[in-house]
Amino acid sequence: MDYHRIVKMIPVEKREKLSTKLTDFILKSKNADKMPSSLAKTLLHHWQQGPLTNDAGLAVILEVAVTLESDKTLNLLGEELQLSDVVTAIRAE
Amino acid sequence: MVEFGIEFVPSEPYWKTLFYAIQAEKRGFNYLWITDHFNNRNVYVTLTAAALHTERIKLGPGVTNPYLINPVITAQAVASLNEMAPSRVILGIGAGDKTTLRSTGLEMQKPLTAVKECVEIVRRMVSEKSVTFEGEVFKTSDAKFFFKPKMRIPVYVGAQGPKMLELAGNIGDGVLINAGHPKDVDYAVGLVKKGVGQVGKRLTDVDVAAYTSFSVHEDLKKAAEAAVPVVAYVAAGSPDVVLQRHGINQEKARKIGEALKAGKWGEAFGSVSSEMIEAFSVCGTPEMCIERINDLLKSGISQFVVGSPIGPNVRKSIDLISERIIPEFTR
Repeated sequence: MDYHRIVKMIPVEKREKLSTKLTDFILKSKNADKMPSSLAKTLLHHWQQGPLTNDAGLAVILEVAVTLESDKTLNLLGEELQLSDVVTAIRAE
Repeated sequence: MVEFGIEFVPSEPYWKTLFYAIQAEKRGFNYLWITDHFNNRNVYVTLTAAALHTERIKLGPGVTNPYLINPVITAQAVASLNEMAPSRVILGIGAGDKTTLRSTGLEMQKPLTAVKECVEIVRRMVSEKSVTFEGEVFKTSDAKFFFKPKMRIPVYVGAQGPKMLELAGNIGDGVLINAGHPKDVDYAVGLVKKGVGQVGKRLTDVDVAAYTSFSVHEDLKKAAEAAVPVVAYVAAGSPDVVLQRHGINQEKARKIGEALKAGKWGEAFGSVSSEMIEAFSVCGTPEMCIERINDLLKSGISQFVVGSPIGPNVRKSIDLISERIIPEFTR
């Protein structure tokens, strides 16, 4: 799935809130053991390099969130942040 | 000036612990301590990953013990880690806990001697070509590495009992005092002072760390709720003399211990009183935590370690500590 393309659809003003909420989803996830090891390394790399609100950081945190907490993530994007086009793009991939 | 350390128990998948470790470095913590219990993820595997994902923060086991890990292996581990994080590696050594050791078939024999000998062997292994050591607990015969560590590692002795605290002051570059209440830390620092005095050092020559059970949140009730499970274990494991110092009913503490042993979590946690939280944790709003840290500074600590649970939401609590607490001590 091309998350780098999808995050470009997210308005700048919603990125920080989205990033924070997704971070809490993954850190509190009961599915942590389902994290692919390559994705874990990518997440830690981007987290060390900078905030998870830039394109690269947001793309990886979104991918992790969809992997571990798909329903919660899609609900956050669609209901709370009113980003139905992003939800559609994720579902279409 | 006090420095801030943070402790993580590697009980969750490594990437979560690493996420918080990276956050702690970004947010201004100086020390990263990873606990060493065989039941959790391995301490050196976790530290290796942390070393590779951080640049500045000092890091080490807090604490390992000489019974489960032979001193030459501890020396090998810290020397190897030092290649990944030069001049950032620190080492915490304590006697371990009897219950955990027993579950592996080991007895805590001569803890003071074991810790003292372990510290000497580790220091010599990372600085000398070959080590022959004839101790009461440990022996080495021409033990050598096939690589050259050439390092001096700051050794912190984890201590709670009076004799270990004295020894920590005597031989340690630092001491990790397992307490967060001024009454306990005052008492402990007095013994550390005695230890440093025996070898002609001053207290300021040693990094004195209060290794605390910590929980911060804007809402006191939420901070306290998060602290309860850890406090239950601390209360149940505290010697009578410590319970008496805080006016805590020994029978109540004993019953918490029995409930924990039986897996009756509700009963155990429900019996934790506000007095126990006050005695065995640094818990509350940022302002309350600042007040407590100020009290501990008067006792002579030079490092404050934020230990489990840290807060009801670890990520938010690290941010809160960084934004509201650390600046109060670094201005």
